[in-house]
Amino acid sequence: MDFFSEGLKRGAELALSGNPDVIAATLLSFRVAVVSTIVACAIGIPVGFYIGTNQFFGKRAALTLLNTMLAFPTVVVGLIIWGLLTRSGPLGGLGLLYTWWAIVLAEIVLAAPVAAALTAAAVQGIDPRVRRTAMTLGAGFFRTHWTVAREARYALLAAVVVAFGRVLAEVGAAMIVGGNIRSHTRTLTTAVTLATSQGDFALAMAFGFVLIALALTVNVLLQLFQGRGDD
Amino acid sequence: MIDLKGIDHKYGSNTVLGIESLTLKPGTITGLVGPNGSGKSTLLRILALLERPDNGEISIDGTPIVTSAQRRRSRRGITLVEQRPFLFAGDVRSNMAYGLQRRRIDKGEAEKRILESLETLGITHLLERRVKALSEGERQQVAIARAVSLEPDILLLDEPTSAADRRATNVIYTALESQRSKGVTICFASHELENAYRFSNNLLSLAHGRIVPTTPENIFRVDLPNGHGSKTVQLNELSIQVVTEKEGPATIAISPDDFLVSTEPFQSSARNQFPGRVTSLSDDGHDRVTLVVNAGPEFVVRLTPTAVKDLSISLGSEVFLSVKAVAVRVH
Repeated sequence: MDFFSEGLKRGAELALSGNPDVIAATLLSFRVAVVSTIVACAIGIPVGFYIGTNQFFGKRAALTLLNTMLAFPTVVVGLIIWGLLTRSGPLGGLGLLYTWWAIVLAEIVLAAPVAAALTAAAVQGIDPRVRRTAMTLGAGFFRTHWTVAREARYALLAAVVVAFGRVLAEVGAAMIVGGNIRSHTRTLTTAVTLATSQGDFALAMAFGFVLIALALTVNVLLQLFQGRGDD
Repeated sequence: MIDLKGIDHKYGSNTVLGIESLTLKPGTITGLVGPNGSGKSTLLRILALLERPDNGEISIDGTPIVTSAQRRRSRRGITLVEQRPFLFAGDVRSNMAYGLQRRRIDKGEAEKRILESLETLGITHLLERRVKALSEGERQQVAIARAVSLEPDILLLDEPTSAADRRATNVIYTALESQRSKGVTICFASHELENAYRFSNNLLSLAHGRIVPTTPENIFRVDLPNGHGSKTVQLNELSIQVVTEKEGPATIAISPDDFLVSTEPFQSSARNQFPGRVTSLSDDGHDRVTLVVNAGPEFVVRLTPTAVKDLSISLGSEVFLSVKAVAVRVH
């Protein structure tokens, strides 16, 4: 018990002490999460929107595929990206393997289906009168979709937050394509894995605390946003 | 002017609309009646260019509307107010401004139109109100004001007074009449036959998605004599007692359920009793039998199958209809 409580205590101290390893991993995790979430949502939200608002042949298959991709093992995605980016792979010439861009790429592949599936569910749940009302009041194609998105904004925001959470918490793919290189491709999650395997429970907990704090901050911001815009 | 030709529309394998020909002319109000599921709302959505029929042609002012771009452009001149209209989250003002902004109406003109149309509906006090705080009836009025402010050439309304009280109903139909006088083509669906009859120039009856001959039940135009309270009005050769303060031209309506039917005259408090002959008898299969009784004018009367059996009523039976003077509604 002493080991556990001492570890927690030291972890909290380390997290607050400005340990350079903790700071570097935090900044990288945040940077990867922000960039991946932006790109994943830029792809996933329009795709989800299209699937959710249109009737077309293969719609059910598209939704099934998206939902399957939600449960896609992250290490497999990491492995595929590794295969593409490795020196002898088809994209090996780009020299991206073991850089933070490789992690971003893997996270995009993992988070875009999350954004797409949740967006499709969100817009499918929107009252069909919203679209008709916008159209009958004279809205064009983009304005009509914008109006639907506005009515679904909380659900869409949740899609963004879940995508962000998926990226922030992901470890398998980041480890494989990033290589867990100190101050270079070491994210908070890969750092936790390494510190644990080295037996440094306190350091692992320090990274863990920062991860939780990041997740908490994003969710508090979401709550504040929802509270203010509630009408 | 909007024309429909050979319209055919299905949901799955179920045909919901089959209109051979329909023209709505400028400066007219068309009342659309029919039971639930008869295709009224679908027809309105097709007229509003919000739904594309499986087959058929829609023309506006003689130009067939075929391409998506044409449909989009033409929608600028048509507005539909749905039965349960949707108001966007926010306040009444932002809802009123939505369509005007899409039309790039400048701010001053937009504000003028917003205030004018709210005033026409008698709801200026709602301008700053949050949508969430509105009652169902107020939402309906705001949606109508929102549509009117756009000054459309064609204004379509689905059950525009379903949540309105009597006063609001009159305000709404007065507003529609004022739009009509400006040359707007108006079409509204209503399950209240009386309203459709009173407020439209042209009555259209839909059944199973098709236009059928309209047979308004027991609605007659009469001339009310001057005076107070109980009055006698002439309906062809028939004298009918009514109770009203109104004078001059009016419409009277008797619900088919308000008649008492007997095979012999009898003493009762009902001020109206007329002999007649059953000219039509149909069982709707839902424990109601509809009779048409020729008593000079024809009256539609509804009874239970048991009553029809007990009185031994059949086609050609001589019967007596009784109805209280207060049951004759005067509009």
